[in-house]
Amino acid sequence: MSAIIEMEGVSFSYGSDAAHALDNVSLTVNEGDFIGIIGPSGAGKSTLAACLSGAIPHHYTGELFGTTVVDGADTCDITLTDISRIVGSVNQDIDAQMVASVVEDELLFGLENFGVPHDEIEGRIERTLATVGISELRHREIATLSGGQKQKVAIAAILALEPRVLVLDEPTAALDPVSSRIVFETLADINRRLGVTVIVIEQKVALLSTYCSRILVMDHGSIALTGTPHEVFGHSGNLRAIGVDSPRTVRISNSLVRDGLTDRSEPCLNVDEAYGLIRDILAGVEGIADTAADAPEPSPHTPARPHADGTAPILTLEHVGFTYPGGGASVEDLSMTVYPGELVGIVGQNGAGKTTLTKLLNGLLKPSAGTVRVAGLDTRETPVSTIAAHVATLFQNPDRQICKNTVIDEVAFGLELTGVDGAEARERARAVIKRFGLPATEAPFSLSRGQRQMVALAGVVVMEPEIVLLDEPTSGLDYRECMTVMETVSDMADHGCAVIMVCHDMEVVSDFAERIVVMANGRILGRGPAAPLFADRALMDQASVTPPQVIDLSERLARDVSPAFAHITEVSDIVRTVKELMGRA
Amino acid sequence: MLNVIDYVPGDTLLHRLNPVTKLALAAAIIAATFLSDGYAALVGLLVLTLALAAYAGVFGRLARLLKLLVPVALIMLVLQLVFVRSGTALLAFVTDEGLITGGKACLRLLGVALPLVLMLMVTKLTDLANACVEKLHIPYKYAFTFTTALRFVPVFSQEMNAIMEAQTARGVEYDTNNPFKKMQLMLPLCIPLLISSVSKTDATALAAEQRGFYLRTRESSYRRYPFSAADFAAFALCIALIALGIVL
Repeated sequence: MSAIIEMEGVSFSYGSDAAHALDNVSLTVNEGDFIGIIGPSGAGKSTLAACLSGAIPHHYTGELFGTTVVDGADTCDITLTDISRIVGSVNQDIDAQMVASVVEDELLFGLENFGVPHDEIEGRIERTLATVGISELRHREIATLSGGQKQKVAIAAILALEPRVLVLDEPTAALDPVSSRIVFETLADINRRLGVTVIVIEQKVALLSTYCSRILVMDHGSIALTGTPHEVFGHSGNLRAIGVDSPRTVRISNSLVRDGLTDRSEPCLNVDEAYGLIRDILAGVEGIADTAADAPEPSPHTPARPHADGTAPILTLEHVGFTYPGGGASVEDLSMTVYPGELVGIVGQNGAGKTTLTKLLNGLLKPSAGTVRVAGLDTRETPVSTIAAHVATLFQNPDRQICKNTVIDEVAFGLELTGVDGAEARERARAVIKRFGLPATEAPFSLSRGQRQMVALAGVVVMEPEIVLLDEPTSGLDYRECMTVMETVSDMADHGCAVIMVCHDMEVVSDFAERIVVMANGRILGRGPAAPLFADRALMDQASVTPPQVIDLSERLARDVSPAFAHITEVSDIVRTVKELMGRA
Repeated sequence: MLNVIDYVPGDTLLHRLNPVTKLALAAAIIAATFLSDGYAALVGLLVLTLALAAYAGVFGRLARLLKLLVPVALIMLVLQLVFVRSGTALLAFVTDEGLITGGKACLRLLGVALPLVLMLMVTKLTDLANACVEKLHIPYKYAFTFTTALRFVPVFSQEMNAIMEAQTARGVEYDTNNPFKKMQLMLPLCIPLLISSVSKTDATALAAEQRGFYLRTRESSYRRYPFSAADFAAFALCIALIALGIVL
């Protein structure tokens, strides 16, 4: 296999006195590779992608050292346009990339510009749309497409130019698990059938481990680890230190190896591999097929909280319905009750009505049927600004929340709005800022994306609200930031605050939420304790939700190997159960 | 969410006309609106615009815009009534001349705003840009800038809505009924909006360059936009409209 891109000792900084965003990176990309890039935020992933696509040095200014050679030519010697003939890139913000209002025109733009002969254009459009699987969308308005469909159009628009390398920056950041998987299926298909080299920045480890032939782990501007998914996830200890998550099945197999229960050297990347491994370990053990399960132990993250008996619910929804005036995802007959100190997860596909539900809870939308009562207030009769004193919302995009010039002003702002005296507000804000380790006097917009989310979180914590709403709290954050957010809110729940979160990451939901609400098509399909609902395969299929890996694994093991695995939700419990069953033999 | 200037698909004659012709038609109606000085002509031109909208199936959308414009027009009328002092007094500060010029100003405002919007509703922006480059020899750079600006209007208004929602949920009183207070509260939001728009524009420029923007010439467009018989008929109509505007 020949190299298509070679980087040799590349360093880059976005200004002469700025720190190196990339630090002495050397990398060879072979034709036909499917490379995944992962790393904590600020590790230089996007900068690396910009070097590969020629945006550095041609678009972003800064100091560049070393050489990047694309198909035999130094990127400094040829124009950005010439580089893009070989390397096509799909932006993080696909709205900014789109130039047309109709799918077909979006594909035409690049084809026309690069002077593809007009008699070939029709064939290219047809072929590309078929490859990406969106032939039926050809004449659709882009504004009417779902997030996943839009992402495919963005990929098709670049793919139509027949680049030899495709660089994508977090293509699934805004997508639900099902759409994310479909996007990766598409990429894998392009890679396999057309031989296009794919380089993708991605935070979802389960996707990377399934589809990539090679993974690069970045940390502080350099490549910390590289290798096949099995090689990279074999170092899950290192990864954790860097701030990168590993699939749960990897943690299981690594623990089993550490405890000497297996001599398999490769980590298990998915549920199938882990299932096979544990089945093989227990294959020779007699009498485990009728070992009953222990009573399920509460997970360490979700301690039983002192609620339920005696406390009045803080939030009640009774047969709530809402329809948007212009059409769109309406919801109907939503009923739920949340008590102080509970952590409730709301799961479901994009378009299931989850965001509409959260807007009904904080009063941004008023129900057209039924009633929503928040902290004793009927949302239909109370202005949103009054509800805000009781319900704090952490939005997906912190930039929409932030509007002040310094971190301290920003954090104190919410308190001042609810009538807290200025001096006291700043005092409370200062305490919270200190706890989060944020720079109090800096401008929020000069901070990194992850830190801006922390500022927004600090603004929520300082309010000491009765209810916290989280809309996709983990998207765009790296593993460590994600854990900080979740640990903060679960700490708030311990102190009696009700937490309701909409989240696509089922591992996070199963780790932290004690109850879940499963939604599809604007209705609640099921609600109750998290583990049994996640184990209900029919319900999960109906809502198109992929259950968390550990629950999936324990359910399959309980069915086929030993009932002792039933109801397990934690990595450590799986390992412990395997040990116990071995010991019994 | 649908926006006023979004393209409405359709297959009427108005949809099928060459984008340049539609532009000319809108320009002719606007020119005639400025030139004509009689109530009959002004009302007639407005009715023509609305009739074309009804024919193209976008009357409902245009009516929504009308709902926004009518209050603005009424404010103009009141201002004219206050400032025009000549003529015979009718009622309090209202003079007959003020009423006549004010009424005309109102009709002109509507007559100028609506045809352009109607044209944008029945034309895809890409077609408009490509046809202008082909027929009017406008450099593509300018055509692209113009269409991108229009395309960003709904994107930014959505962003603004999202920001306002986030701020309302924090307790900022956007749900106040006092328009001046609301205005005052909205000003600080310009900062987040400006920051997101600058980064979006930069990303757009980069993405366009990576898709061969600088290679594009007048011959690049895959679609051709030849004038048909209907287009020439429309041009004749344009000239007639302007002539009528001068006469009436």
